[in-house]
Amino acid sequence: MSEKLEHFVSADPFNPLEVEELSAEQERFYMASQWRMMWWRLKRHKIAVAAGAVLAVMYLSIFITEFIAPYDLLNRHTDHIFAPPQQIHLFDQGKFVGPFVYGLDYKLNLETLRRDYTPNPTRVQKLRFFCSGDKYEFWNLFEADSHLICPAKDGTFFFLGTDRLGRDVWSRMIYGARISLTVGIVGIAISFLLGLTIGGAAGYFGGWVDNVAQRTIEILRSIPELPLWMGLSAAMPEDWSAITVFFGLTIILGLVDWPGLARAVRSKLLALREEDFCTAAALMGAPPKRIIARHLLPNFMSHLIASATLSIPSMILAETALSFLGLGLRPPVTSWGVLLVEAQNFQAVAVYPWLLFPAIPVIITVLAFNFFGDGLRDAADPYK
Amino acid sequence: MMNKYIAIAVSLFTVITVEPARALDLIETPAFKTDVAAGKMPPISARVPANPSIVKFNGKTAVPGKQGGKLNILMGRKKDTRQMVVYGYARLVGYDENFSIKPDILAKMDVKEGRIFTLHLRRGHKWSDGHPFTAEDFRYYWEDVATNTEVRNESPPAAMIVNGERPKFEVLDEVTIRYSWSKPNPFFLPRLAGARPLYLFRPAHYQKKYHAKYTAAETLQKQVKAAKKRNWVALHYSVGQQYKNANPNLPTLQPWMLATKPPAKRFVFKRNPYYYRVDTKGQQLPYIDEVRMNVTNNKLIPIKTGGGESDLQARGLNFNNVTALKQSEKQSGFKTNLWRTAKGARWALFPNLNTQDPMWRKLFRDVRFRRALSLGINRREINQVIYYGLAREGNNTVLPESPLYHPRFKNRFTKFDITRANALLDDMGLTKKTPAGIRLLPNGKRMELTVVFSTEESEPSDILELIRDSWRDIGIKLFLKPMQRDVLRNRIFSGLVKMSMWFGLENGIPSADASPQELAPTTQQQLQWPKWGQFVETRGRAGEAVDMPQALRLSALNKKWAEAPTQDGRRKIWIEMLDIYTKQLFSVGIISSVPQVVVASKHLRNVPKRAIYNWDPGAHFGVYRPDGFWFDAKKRKLN
Amino acid sequence: MFNYFVRRILTMLLTLLVVSALVFVIIQLPEGDYLTSYIAELESQGEAVDPQKIAYLKEEFGLDKPIWLQYLSWIGGVVQGDFGRSIEFDLPVTDVIGEVFVFSLILNFSIIIFIYMVAFPIGVYSATHQYSWGDHGLTFIGFIGLATPNFLLALILMFLARKYFGTSIGGLVDPSFENKPWDFAKFMSLLEHLVVPVIVIGTSGTAGMIRRLRANLLDELHKQYVVTARAKGLPEGKLLIKYPLRMALNPFIADIGNLLPQVISGSVIVAVIMDLPTTGPVILDALRSQDMFLAGSFLLFVSLLTVVGMFVSDLLLAVLDPRIRLEGTRE
Repeated sequence: MSEKLEHFVSADPFNPLEVEELSAEQERFYMASQWRMMWWRLKRHKIAVAAGAVLAVMYLSIFITEFIAPYDLLNRHTDHIFAPPQQIHLFDQGKFVGPFVYGLDYKLNLETLRRDYTPNPTRVQKLRFFCSGDKYEFWNLFEADSHLICPAKDGTFFFLGTDRLGRDVWSRMIYGARISLTVGIVGIAISFLLGLTIGGAAGYFGGWVDNVAQRTIEILRSIPELPLWMGLSAAMPEDWSAITVFFGLTIILGLVDWPGLARAVRSKLLALREEDFCTAAALMGAPPKRIIARHLLPNFMSHLIASATLSIPSMILAETALSFLGLGLRPPVTSWGVLLVEAQNFQAVAVYPWLLFPAIPVIITVLAFNFFGDGLRDAADPYK
Repeated sequence: MMNKYIAIAVSLFTVITVEPARALDLIETPAFKTDVAAGKMPPISARVPANPSIVKFNGKTAVPGKQGGKLNILMGRKKDTRQMVVYGYARLVGYDENFSIKPDILAKMDVKEGRIFTLHLRRGHKWSDGHPFTAEDFRYYWEDVATNTEVRNESPPAAMIVNGERPKFEVLDEVTIRYSWSKPNPFFLPRLAGARPLYLFRPAHYQKKYHAKYTAAETLQKQVKAAKKRNWVALHYSVGQQYKNANPNLPTLQPWMLATKPPAKRFVFKRNPYYYRVDTKGQQLPYIDEVRMNVTNNKLIPIKTGGGESDLQARGLNFNNVTALKQSEKQSGFKTNLWRTAKGARWALFPNLNTQDPMWRKLFRDVRFRRALSLGINRREINQVIYYGLAREGNNTVLPESPLYHPRFKNRFTKFDITRANALLDDMGLTKKTPAGIRLLPNGKRMELTVVFSTEESEPSDILELIRDSWRDIGIKLFLKPMQRDVLRNRIFSGLVKMSMWFGLENGIPSADASPQELAPTTQQQLQWPKWGQFVETRGRAGEAVDMPQALRLSALNKKWAEAPTQDGRRKIWIEMLDIYTKQLFSVGIISSVPQVVVASKHLRNVPKRAIYNWDPGAHFGVYRPDGFWFDAKKRKLN
Repeated sequence: MFNYFVRRILTMLLTLLVVSALVFVIIQLPEGDYLTSYIAELESQGEAVDPQKIAYLKEEFGLDKPIWLQYLSWIGGVVQGDFGRSIEFDLPVTDVIGEVFVFSLILNFSIIIFIYMVAFPIGVYSATHQYSWGDHGLTFIGFIGLATPNFLLALILMFLARKYFGTSIGGLVDPSFENKPWDFAKFMSLLEHLVVPVIVIGTSGTAGMIRRLRANLLDELHKQYVVTARAKGLPEGKLLIKYPLRMALNPFIADIGNLLPQVISGSVIVAVIMDLPTTGPVILDALRSQDMFLAGSFLLFVSLLTVVGMFVSDLLLAVLDPRIRLEGTRE
């Protein structure tokens, strides 16, 4: 037995009216809302933040697609078909010139039946920035022709080469982002809507509502995805325009996806509705709608968002798969899926590999969504 | 350039023969030496007919070869076993390399007044199982199958009915058969020589086992039950499909016979020991012992061919594969040849004169509109962009390889001329335009035209992209719409589709003796006037009657052709029809003579470097007789 | 327990019945039927179609009967074990599927092994070294496969395999081995050809598995008993294996039910591209040409697998995890 441990009890008299003062920082910490705490947790996950930034950039680019792309979507160059990517150089023979590309000399080789392009060192084509290029209608509101990067006047700038009609792959990729990224978001919105309503009803009300919902979910989940897609796609009338087909496609993707979400919602609700706060609300006279919306949903909204974020990439991939089967979007609508299908052949793999570049934004987007979604999910339960 | 001489002088009493009876010393086929020695197979002198067909090679591009070797080919679907009937091309009468019809299986074919056909078989010709091939096989088909009302799923084919009249069928002796009509039948011989041939015979000895007249009812019942068919008629039909070529037990006359029971991924075809063709050295054809057909996904055929997995390939290879194939030649040991296709047009636009939309129907009926559409197409650009300039620009009409060709048919209204096109449209009164330059229809709507095409091929959408740009300059806005093939055709037939893109004339190299029916409304399958065609096809029961004077004239000429007594008369009719057809531009041809990529192993001989690749006439490889292709064994290890 | 069984099985049967009807409807949704596409194909090749033959085929396959009647006759047959006849192959459905089923099993079994073998170590490492660079790096690799569009990867890998290893393109064995009996050389060819499909299909499955394993393991590692064990001095490795890992195996078991049907139908696209002799291409063709009985029977079969699989997983979970058992059925 050595010395006694120090007392932790203060010798000051007790003041019952004392209110504990929190420092500003402590206040921020202890009084933080759920969402704020989620954000802090998310920030810890560096990769998720990076992924989020990438996604933000991509989605923002959708608004200024025409501005970013050097060429218009349908712009084609008959004398530059299957042109290889043009490298950007800074120094021409030792002198700093600024970003430029060498012009391409074209020759049709009838021996190998191939179009040969050789960069010509004498034709220096400087790139222009914030320049005048192909005309476009900005958001269908007004005409403009300003571009971020343009080729030199009478020159070419094929950053990723051209395709079989002489269209710039890089520009088409940028335009494709618009469709592919939107498909995911709209599809998820539909899936969300269906999953929340049906799952929510099933989870909260229980009884026969639950039974019917569960059976439906089970039925839909046991049918393999592919025939569902095929059947529903084939059911779309042939005379729909490209835009209507696009929306029809997103609706189909959403329709096939909602059971998973509904199940998650349902199980969460089942657990949560037994909680005391829910009973309290009911006792206070809140109608079921208010209880679900105001009390239950916010509790697992974070999980749902994380789930949803993780579903988006599968929708993007599904769009590419459907395009491959010929059921999804088709030219002239341009999405990454359509671009990849055009590259799905012998000559693209063996002779013109630059046609495969559109796979990269798909990979990046899917990875980004996955990491971001993972981060969200990890952060979703900040009270852990 | 091919020599074109007339195959059949229908008005004369013609005898078409081949070399007289042989005095050749036959050499036993190496593949059967052991079986013959063991007594399991008769010697070659007993297997080959008394007067076999002796094949003379021209000595320059084709020489007699060596027997042996296995040929690997790729096909895109399981049902493509039928292609061996096409490639084997053993026909009663067949087209030769110059597209003249000559007897092949037959020793002789006598044609009198174009309506009496006497067929002479070769004595001693046997089926692939050794059973004799005689007139009985023809009688069995005609009397017990085609005209037998009990056999509900077979009836005399259309090519054998002239003006509703069936032929008089006579067996003159065991190697001579005669078919007679009261009017000429110009379709008979071409159909017999077709890629999908008209079969006048069946292996009677085999089929009788499944026929109620020759087999006891209980045996029939047992067979039907075992095969899970509905009744003997169904079973009889199913085992006897010669073109389908899916029954290994069905005897055949083709050079290779099926040795694998479907379904399979790889079908092996073994040489026919009783084949009727020999070369000048006395070797029995085919040279190649075995053909192995690997069934794979159609889309993989180019890359697999590039990998050297096929010794002879054309099906499944598109022109846009040619660069990659040329690149792989060295590593994979093959040569890439470019043959010419022979459709009247590889791609043509078909304005639907029977479209439901009254506004557009009126426009399409005005020849000025059709001509403007044609003048507004930059064919040169299309040729350069898609075909490296190797194809021919022009109308949907006969090709230079046909004796009926004239440049003015090919070139009418095909020179790219925006000014002239605009002038024609202005002339029609369509002068109102939107600020963007799109013309307005008389009812005020914008002139927006949707062109529909099948999803199966990639070229139409590329071509239409190019056309879209040039038509914008004449004030027409073009929309593309790909569609599933069957849905597409149904919509065209019902008039829902305004314009479609499809192949042009099936036979772009006709002689005057070929039927000009493609130029007149004859069938619903013609996408420019489906309802008129249907009317003619169903004899007025469905569709709409033809009501354009030029189309009526074409119909009348088509009828006259079948009754024309002389070849010169037929030729005159053809010329007039071609003249009307190209003046009127009922279909707007875009490009023709597109090169077809043909890959052949570098060890495979007698494969033409340049030739015509066409379905009918031509049978793809058929008219070049693959039974005469051989492997240069010195350089290649036979595996 | 017995009541639960019976009820479950009855619901399963009911589900299957509804699925069969749904599947039949889905197959019939596109315009026309098998014959319309068959006719169109003939016509587009310039071959005249004999209307009598068409009428005959219609009757032969019952396509002239109303849809509900076709459905009933099919279902009636299914219950008796007769799955109908494929129009395309002119063979009983069981013959057609039987051919390709074995290869499907081999392929999918290999894929499952691949997924487990890859996902397990990555998942464990990720969980135990959360937020480290190793975690991020390995997860990245694990997810790359998921992110790459399968069909493109398949084509590229096939081309490279041919170029550098001489592997013939497509198929599961070299064409020279087709129709030949099994021997060592054929087996080696099979292994050689399995590499590309397993990589392509497997990599998209590993991501999900890694994620689940990681999540579960993380959950466990933060629990009190782990902290206690660590405090008591148990070495890290033993600690990991003894308790949390068992719990983390949960998703593996739960997924078995899901995995088989998903892998069978999920690899359709890759199987089509690579021309594998599995069920995928057969089904796709059947759906496209509306070969009703073939497509319908197979889809029904896959649904059966799924439903039974879910049932089996539930059972296994109940056996493995006493918490589920003891918590009772909370409906």
